[in-house]
Formats: sequence, C-alpha cells, structure tokens
Amino acid sequence: MTAGPTAYSFAWSAVWRGLPYLLQGAAFTVFVSALAMVVAVALGLVLAALTEVRGGVARPLVRAYVEVFRNTPLLIQIFIVYFGLPQLGWRLSPFLSGLSALVIYAAAYNAEIFRAGLEAVPRGQHEAARSIGLSELGAQRFVIVPQAIRIAFPALGNNLVSLVKNSSLVSTIGMVELMFVANDIAFNNFRTFEIYGAAALLYVLLVLALTRALHLAERRMARAR
Amino acid sequence: MSARIVLESLPYLLRGTLVTVGLSLAVIALGTAAGLTLGVLRFVPWRGVGRGIGWAVELVRAVPLLLLMFFIFFGLPAIGVGLPTLPAAVLAMSLWMMVNTAEVVRGGIQSIPTGQVEAARSLGLGWVPMMRHVIVPQAVRRMIPPFVGLCTILIKDTSLAAIIGVFELTRAAQETIERTLRSFEIYTVTAAIYFVICFPLTRLAQRAEARLARPS
Repeated sequence: MTAGPTAYSFAWSAVWRGLPYLLQGAAFTVFVSALAMVVAVALGLVLAALTEVRGGVARPLVRAYVEVFRNTPLLIQIFIVYFGLPQLGWRLSPFLSGLSALVIYAAAYNAEIFRAGLEAVPRGQHEAARSIGLSELGAQRFVIVPQAIRIAFPALGNNLVSLVKNSSLVSTIGMVELMFVANDIAFNNFRTFEIYGAAALLYVLLVLALTRALHLAERRMARAR
Repeated sequence: MSARIVLESLPYLLRGTLVTVGLSLAVIALGTAAGLTLGVLRFVPWRGVGRGIGWAVELVRAVPLLLLMFFIFFGLPAIGVGLPTLPAAVLAMSLWMMVNTAEVVRGGIQSIPTGQVEAARSLGLGWVPMMRHVIVPQAVRRMIPPFVGLCTILIKDTSLAAIIGVFELTRAAQETIERTLRSFEIYTVTAAIYFVICFPLTRLAQRAEARLARPS
C-alpha cells in the first residue's frame, strides 16, 4: 500500500499499552457509580417518604430540591460544589466533590421515582395492612414500601445507567475515573482516536453488562411475585 | 454575595444563554429528524436491518455524551477529519439526540397493540402506509412526554460543549469567573438561568404524562 503523508494507521500498540490504565479507570467508574447510587437510593427513599407527610414544610422543601436539581445541569452542580463552595469556606477534595454532586443529582431523580412508586401502590393495600393489625410503620415497612420499590425498580435501573455515564463529568474536576484516564493517556501519546475509541468501548461494555443484570433482576422479581 | 458583580455580569451571561438556546434548538431539530427516521426504520420488515439499527442505537446510547464529544473533537482529527469546536459539539449532541429519540420512538411504537398491525395488514396496507397512517399517529401521543423530557436533558447537557471550548452559557460563566473570581455567585446564577429554561419543559412533560394516564 502506498502511504501518503496523511495516511493513518490504527495503532493497536497504543490501545494495549493504555488498556491496563483504562481498566483501572473503569473499575473506579464502577466504584464511584455504585457508591453514589447506594447513597442516592437511601436519600431518595427518605425524601420520598418525607413527601408523604401531609402538612408542614417537608413536602414543599423536598419538591423544591427535586425540581432544582433535576432542572439544572449536573456539570454546573459539580462546579458549584468544587469551585463555588470553597469560596464559602467549604473545601472538598475532587473525590468528595464529585461524589456528593453525583449523589445529590441522582437522589433528586430517585426521590421522584420513589414518590411515583409509592403513589402507584393501590390504596386498598394500606387499608388491608392496617385492618390485619399492622401499625402505620409496619404497614409501610412490610407492605407499601416493598411494593413501591418493585414498581420503581426499572426506573431506578435506568437512573443507575445514567449515573454510570454521568460519572464521566467528574473527570473535569480531577477525579481519576475512566474518562479522566482516557484524557490523560490521549493527551500524552496523541493517539486520541484509539484511546477514546477504547474508552467508549469500555463504557459500552459496562452499560450493556449493567442493563443485562438489571433485566435479569427485574425478571426474577416478577417471578417471585 | 456580591450583587453588583452578578448584575454587571448578567449581560454577558445572557449572551451565552442566547447561544445555548440556539444550540439546543439546532440540535433538537437535527437530532429529532434523524432520530424519528431511525426509530421508525427499526421496524422495517427486513429483520436484519431492524436489528442492525437497534444494535447501533444501543451502542451509541451507551457512550457518555462527553466522551462522544471528545472522540469527535480530539479523536477524529487523528484520522483526518478535523472539525472546529462548534460543529464538533453540534455533531456529538445531534448524534446523542438522534439515538435517544430513536429509543423514545421505539418505546412509543412498541406500546401500540399488535392488533393494530394485524388490522392494518388485513386491510391490505403496505408497511409505509401502515406506519404513516396507523402506527405512528397513535404512537406519537405516547412519545411526547419522554421526548419533552429528552429535550430538557439535552438543554442541560449543552453545558458540556463548554469543555471543548464552545461559547455558550457555561463557557460565559467560566469566563466571567476568570475575571471576577466569584465562582459561587456566578455558577448559582447560571444554574438559575438553566432552571428558568428547563423547568417549564419539565412541567409540560409532566402535564402531557398526566393527560396520557387519564382514560380518554
């Protein structure tokens, strides 16, 4: 093949050399996403429970939280935590800044998902639970919330998938996850096409594995019913 | 809080806002047109084509938008396809919008009972007229809430274009902060501007959803 001056050849060697680091980055992406999701699910559940309390300030406050964080860019939220808060004397590491921004953002979505889930449980379930002698808390704990979680599960799964992809944004403040590692390698060896391609493939594998797992879990839940 | 600095920076931020709005509209127009086409083509009677489109959509959807943008802006020049920042951002975001719209379309079409397909077939309608007159008109109603939600996400995500250097609202905020060093105030105001654009859309999506849920 005659190669002109602009001819391009895919450098597999760049991919192989970068792969161990990319995999480490991917592992960290998984770690951060999982950690953020666990906290965001707990937080979302608490927030959704608070909206069930009629009267008082909890409900409008939670509504405001959900709407504010769902309707502003995650990138700006990350920047406010990392660049803005130090101005008020609150300095967090890139890791804690990124993690808390991801948690706050995902929890806003989770709260909304759980609220819809709680609302979707038929009223009769509550009445039935109370009439067999369960306390209010017991009815929520054993009857209402488990059903709400089952209803909310697919939407929560989608939110987790979004979270994995969204975690790429914390690379902008220096958290060393997959996107950051890809930038780091690409800007050093200038094999941008290969490295970003490999990173994209890793994200695809992560997301596909996750969607598969969620699908299986969903099916098992449906069968257990 | 320094209200004066915020007030003085507002005109510049609003200039960025105009670009954000224009950028969003352009990407929504491009991405929706392509996504609708792709989404409907996924249901062509040739199995292989439909499946291929499905796989391609899943593949691109799994890649974070930021990486898509970096791949196009930093990666493609390596193979001789160099794009300036704005076209690169528009291309990346339109691709993102396209595949996600295609997914919304898939959901909408799959929600139509198969009886509708059988009925259209038994009337002797071909695939194109069936899609055009029977399936898509019914599916569109169900696509509207998720589609509006998608547009909101896109508007928020145009902020990523700032990272590769496109001047829009987030970039305007960054430049203002470089001058004033007031990151908390400026980013908060910036978030508020995004909120003013996105919140009505979210409301619209919720209302459309509620209307769908009501039995007609």
